[in-house]
Amino acid sequence: MFGPHETNLGRGRALSGRHTAYYAARAAGGAGLLVTEIASVHESDWPYERAPLAAECGPGWSEIVSAVRPHGTLVLAGLGHSGSQGSSAYSQTALWAPSRVPDVATRELPMELGDAEITALIEGFASSAGIAAESDVDGVELNAGQHSILRQFLSGLTNVRSDAWGTDKARLLREVLAAVRSRLGDRLLGVRLCCDELAPWAGITPEHAVQHVRQIADSVDYLVVVRGSAMAGSATRPDLHTDPGFNVELCGEIRSGMDILAPIVLQGSVVDPAQAQRALDEGVADLVEMTRAQIADPELVSKTAAGQRIRPCSLSNAKCLVRDNRNPIVTCTAEPRSGHETVDPAPDGRDAPIPVLVVGGGPAGLEAARVLAGRGHRVRLAERSAELGGALRLAALVGGRSRLGTLADWLIEQVYALGVDVHTGVEVGLPELDTAEHVLLATGSRQGRREFSSTAAANVLDDGEFYTRVLRDGVPAALPAGPIVVHDPVGGPVGVGTAELVVAAGVETAIVTPDQVVGTQLAVTGDLAAANARLQQAGVTLHKSSLLREVRAGGATLENRFTGRQQEIRCATVIHCGHRLPEDILGEQRPELPLAGDCVAPRTVHEAILEGRRAALELVSRSKTLAGAG
Amino acid sequence: MSGGQYRYLFSPLRLGPLTVRNRVVFSAHLTNYAEDGLPSEQHAAYYAARAAGGAGLIITEEHSTHPTDWPYEKLIHGFNPSAIPGYRRITEAVHAHDVPILAQLNHNGGQASSMYSRLPVWAPSPIADPMFREVPKAVSTGEIVEIVRGYATVAEHCVAGGFDGVELQCSHSSIVRGFLSPATNIRTDSYGGSLPNRARILLEIVDAVREAIGPRHALGVRICGDELIDGGTTIDEAVHVATMVESTGKVDYINTSIGVATATLFMIEASMHIPPGYAMFIPSAIRQKVSLPVVGVGRFKDPVQAERALADGQCDLVGVVRGQIADADFVAKARAGHATDIRTCLSCNQECVGRMGLNRWLGCIENPVTGKESVRLPTPSARSRQVLVIGGGPAGLQAASTAAQRGHRVTLVERAERTGGQVALAASVPSRAEFLDVTRNLLTECRRYGVRIRTGVTADLGLVSAEQPDAVVLATGATPDRPWWAGELDRIVDIRSVLDGTASPHGTVVLVDDLGFHQATSVAELLADRGCAVRVITSGMVVGQDLGITLDMETWNIRADAKGITQDTDVVVMGGAPDEETGGVTLTILRHTTGETFELSADWVVCASHPRPADELWADLSTMDVVAHRIGDCLTPRRAHAAVIEGHRAGVAI
Repeated sequence: MFGPHETNLGRGRALSGRHTAYYAARAAGGAGLLVTEIASVHESDWPYERAPLAAECGPGWSEIVSAVRPHGTLVLAGLGHSGSQGSSAYSQTALWAPSRVPDVATRELPMELGDAEITALIEGFASSAGIAAESDVDGVELNAGQHSILRQFLSGLTNVRSDAWGTDKARLLREVLAAVRSRLGDRLLGVRLCCDELAPWAGITPEHAVQHVRQIADSVDYLVVVRGSAMAGSATRPDLHTDPGFNVELCGEIRSGMDILAPIVLQGSVVDPAQAQRALDEGVADLVEMTRAQIADPELVSKTAAGQRIRPCSLSNAKCLVRDNRNPIVTCTAEPRSGHETVDPAPDGRDAPIPVLVVGGGPAGLEAARVLAGRGHRVRLAERSAELGGALRLAALVGGRSRLGTLADWLIEQVYALGVDVHTGVEVGLPELDTAEHVLLATGSRQGRREFSSTAAANVLDDGEFYTRVLRDGVPAALPAGPIVVHDPVGGPVGVGTAELVVAAGVETAIVTPDQVVGTQLAVTGDLAAANARLQQAGVTLHKSSLLREVRAGGATLENRFTGRQQEIRCATVIHCGHRLPEDILGEQRPELPLAGDCVAPRTVHEAILEGRRAALELVSRSKTLAGAG
Repeated sequence: MSGGQYRYLFSPLRLGPLTVRNRVVFSAHLTNYAEDGLPSEQHAAYYAARAAGGAGLIITEEHSTHPTDWPYEKLIHGFNPSAIPGYRRITEAVHAHDVPILAQLNHNGGQASSMYSRLPVWAPSPIADPMFREVPKAVSTGEIVEIVRGYATVAEHCVAGGFDGVELQCSHSSIVRGFLSPATNIRTDSYGGSLPNRARILLEIVDAVREAIGPRHALGVRICGDELIDGGTTIDEAVHVATMVESTGKVDYINTSIGVATATLFMIEASMHIPPGYAMFIPSAIRQKVSLPVVGVGRFKDPVQAERALADGQCDLVGVVRGQIADADFVAKARAGHATDIRTCLSCNQECVGRMGLNRWLGCIENPVTGKESVRLPTPSARSRQVLVIGGGPAGLQAASTAAQRGHRVTLVERAERTGGQVALAASVPSRAEFLDVTRNLLTECRRYGVRIRTGVTADLGLVSAEQPDAVVLATGATPDRPWWAGELDRIVDIRSVLDGTASPHGTVVLVDDLGFHQATSVAELLADRGCAVRVITSGMVVGQDLGITLDMETWNIRADAKGITQDTDVVVMGGAPDEETGGVTLTILRHTTGETFELSADWVVCASHPRPADELWADLSTMDVVAHRIGDCLTPRRAHAAVIEGHRAGVAI
């Protein structure tokens, strides 16, 4: 299953041609069934700007069905209402909810639904299902999981009503199912059901969930077991700090509590086909949702069937978690074409072979080499260090982020499998550049500027030095005794992960951030609150709203960003996790050569892969133009 | 009459080839009205409303000059020739009111990310912006040529689209600012180092753009007078740049600004905590060295204040942005001698600046039409209806005003002796007095449109029956609710009790922030000013978590520090008990990130918690044969903008 998720691909509140292309790519790749982005069933729900509204989705659903059905994939329309987890910013009307309980994140008070609104809500589900059926979808899936008013009615956290909708918390779900079924006929009806809110004091527990399942199992065709609520916002689709397949046990609990068997779908960071197969073999579930895995590799199913390795999902959530008011388009660190199917050309194809020298074996160089070799070119890849992987290898050493290594492994494996002529430990000089027929530079980055001063006796390392020279088998070695201060002006995963590594080694650790919260950029991955909790639990001292001004032997001066007030802290070593600079010496000397990735400007793995691929395709097309002209 | 008391404000001025009829400029600001990177109908309607309202000169939001520049989603892609028809729609709508309109040209440079463009960000040097935190690509000299050409191309598009000229954005967020500022330009070539080198790209752009627009269109340059960042541009260099710009002989006026959009935005769009006119040292200094007309900006919210800045010789024109967002007829009302009728801007920043930062369309807390100028309201019903509005807070006042403006006969009853609802209390705290304007303005409108206002009257069904209304609007607000853990302890009180004087906490005070906006922080300041030792605690990650949206976070933290207010986050109150020894309260607190529990004692505990709707009449109304609307906090307690929007909606619906 390719499960429902926010994409920001819509036009207004309708589904777009970009949606169609996005889903069609997964269908062509062999997905068994897909559930489209959840559409609001009533105009009172407008949770994010591009959130589809069922009343406007008919044409889009029809178009998706036409594009997807020829591949043998079933299309289900996702339907829901976000209730108090929505937003009033677009509708400019009060949020709907079972009770007047503010959302934990926004703190906005919703209005308590009266009978008239509940009737309208049920009718909204039914009429939306009717539109979906008229669009010839194979069925609908109702959201009673994260971001759903149906879950809010089921839960004691959010439903404190004393009427029949409160004493019988599953009543709304039952009535909605009955109303939807009446418009759906024989088409499929699935429910995405929260079976653990991870808030046992009042929330839905697995025991409650079993009771809910017993009430609805005979009216649904399948159940997706999910967890999480507003109290545990990132638990439903957590990042790489949570192990893949985390719902296996919960699925088992629900299944064993069922009296009428309905097919069960396992959801939850399942990214490895072997794990999916195991869950099926062991009877944990009848279907497996692999959403992020198919964002990373649309051909997951067909490649797996053919025994090929898939492009791995690292679960970093860096580019695919797009409930973000900036409306980023869903995409993937490893597969930048995802979400951009109508814009980016497919990288595969065959050309008349040309020889290409790719300088640099980090993610940009590896992707360029992979694409070029895949198109039949003769690629020589030269890497200065002893190992391929570049910055991606270092990123995988950061605390809690080892899964990024799967992407490095895959790129390297592909490059070798495609016959790239790989040379490590080789420094490329100008003579070699000047004699090569085609060259692509992907030489990465180097240590960046430091915005603080330090005395000669101060021990300051930059993160690159720390990971290449100090860290041995995940443990910092050979550092002077005394507290370590991690300086994190970026707020991304590196500062937090580095502090976690250091403190885990038993060293007194502090982290310095200019922000009021540590790791602000982790908000996009869903790890922000969890990261701050992990640091506190580990005993890391958090110096928030602070600028590092000076480092001396044994101490450092911090300055409050708002007040200018200074503070002295003890410190034996500073690990500076700052912005880096391009390693572009070759590029400066030969400015006509194409560049990709960090040597243009040091950014993330996503941009490196995007540009590595782009530069490869541009090089090919330029050489064709030249050949044509010649 | 020619402006009456406004000797300077309404005197015409030449800006090169243009003549403006008064000195009020609707200067450039983002609106997020663009659709697919193109100007929309809403843009045209929005600017036309300010032209109709008498603005002297309108300068549109920025038009991007290059595809590498796409820092926020709804940016106008001026480099795309498809923008020209949209430009014509804007300029025709504005010219219909005989008001000149300029287009602002910009490349945001390094103050951007690659999220939308999927291209490397361009900047003078590879220095990451403190907000976007993406290392940009240092542009080559070839790329500088491309940037300069981009400005000229977009200037041509603007001329083709009917604009009277263009303004070059070289402040706030701009690649030219990036080149000018020593903080972001560390180049060693002829575009870095000395000021003439750093200003080289600006002068090249001036040449190229003047060439593109010819002599019959105006060209302005907007300069930052003080970036307020370490190592950034300060006033002396800004004045020097202005003289360089003037000596090209190709520029018709200088606009000014303060701050950097991504590092010190709170000083660009200053909230009510910063005194009006705070940036006038910049145009004043420039005017001393430059003879071109100079625009001054900075929280001008009434025409008298603008007149004074002109009279004092601080500037030749005054930028009034938020003042005209709040009231499109700002100039016309001043000119007609009805300045007190102006819906004065509060500088609350909630729905203008606040929505911009969140990628939403520009609105206004007290003007429900702002942002919806292109949406036609339904024609008022032919029959004038008898309307009873119950409750004189912002929701009720707005409903009454809108209904009365649409020809209905409106009576508003308010239980208290004065209208204003919670706004009066909210505005009684330090530095928040301007918030009171929201209800003062509404009350003025109600009076102007003949709303019958009865205060000190408690509405009940008898009163409703006696009034025999065709429609009732229930806007009875909210009442404080005690948190579950507060029990009956009389040393645990709501913020409202502090503000209305029923409680007078002293000694040590713990303020519990459950709302995340001004409520807790402003009461904390009030109590600190009265000598209390205040600690603000929150279950969230930040005290006053939404203050950043309105650009109040920096100044709150500065004031809190000065007043000795301490803050703690990630903590949940689990219970409160009387402290027998001190007569105070001991709270049991859970740090939810670690699971640690501890006790916190104080003489008083003040709660900024969600109130509950005062909606007792609602159920009764449903038994009566009358059309009823429930709006604002009595529907569910929210912030003031929701009250105003719902009041307007109800007023229209009648």
